[in-house]
Amino acid sequence: MAAVESGGESRSHARAGKKHKKKRRLSIRIDMTPMVDVAFLLLTFFMLTTYFSKPQTMELNLPPDEKSQVEVAESNLLTIRVAPALTRDPSGVKIAEVFWNIGTEPANRIEQKDLRKFLTDKNKENPKLITLLKIDRDGSYDMLIKLMDIVALAKVERFSLAQMTLYDKRQIEKARGS
Amino acid sequence: MPKIKKKRVGFKIDMTPMVDVAMLLLTFFMMTTQFRPEEATAIELPASHALVKMPETDVMVVTVNKEGRTFLGVDAQSLRAQLFGESNKLRPSMEVDRRALHDLLIQARIQNPKLRTLVKGDKEAPYGPIEDVLDILRQVKITRFNLVTEFEKN
Repeated sequence: MAAVESGGESRSHARAGKKHKKKRRLSIRIDMTPMVDVAFLLLTFFMLTTYFSKPQTMELNLPPDEKSQVEVAESNLLTIRVAPALTRDPSGVKIAEVFWNIGTEPANRIEQKDLRKFLTDKNKENPKLITLLKIDRDGSYDMLIKLMDIVALAKVERFSLAQMTLYDKRQIEKARGS
Repeated sequence: MPKIKKKRVGFKIDMTPMVDVAMLLLTFFMMTTQFRPEEATAIELPASHALVKMPETDVMVVTVNKEGRTFLGVDAQSLRAQLFGESNKLRPSMEVDRRALHDLLIQARIQNPKLRTLVKGDKEAPYGPIEDVLDILRQVKITRFNLVTEFEKN
């Protein structure tokens, strides 16, 4: 394998007549095999443990205080409510059910996959629209992320998060009943 | 002996270039590698299309796991020692009560005002604790924070 040789031997007698006798160099051979073995071992280790994909993040700005309420005309307020469906999917994961309403109108159900287009359309219709997101405490974190992702993809910039109250839950029940 | 053995021709391969390249790669990996930070709890990240890269220094991470338990972690060891006591400074994050979280967040921000807040929740974490954490963040006037997600393809 890899080896280092020192070629000192050939000229050792070239200046034999000189007063000062030159030290004779010994030819050295270093066996590099163990070092290279270890190097490969380390290389494999680093290649396997290193990771390049850093997680992404979603930036969120919330209003500083709940007291600083902004008055919004009823017709400009779109409420999106997300609650876990009564039935779960076979693997036991909660399914999100999405409801929307404007102002104090009764809530309507909407499929999650249609939500993006819906939001884009609504915002085109009414540029002053403010979206309020409410997620049930029984829901999962994934619902929040999915919803915020959809909101971000629909390029809705004026939105806020709010707590789901009993009133909201009743609205959802009503929408389920109808 | 019925057969005459074929005489093998001894040959040598010069391994030097290969070893050179291997060493080069080794140095590269040694320089660039960052070990996956140890975590107090296993977290399965939710997927999103967000593209903001996660900041690495001056961060504090509020983690909520599957069962809804909350953990707080900061990256600097000195700050950890101040928040959780000298004996816990080597632990990446500590389980904290949601009531204690309020004070710890304020303390951490006093020690290092540059701290950025990350919220890292498990995909299946119940929303209740998350809402509480967001509420605490609002109370301590952290209005800008990042939610850690994994990039979703397509």
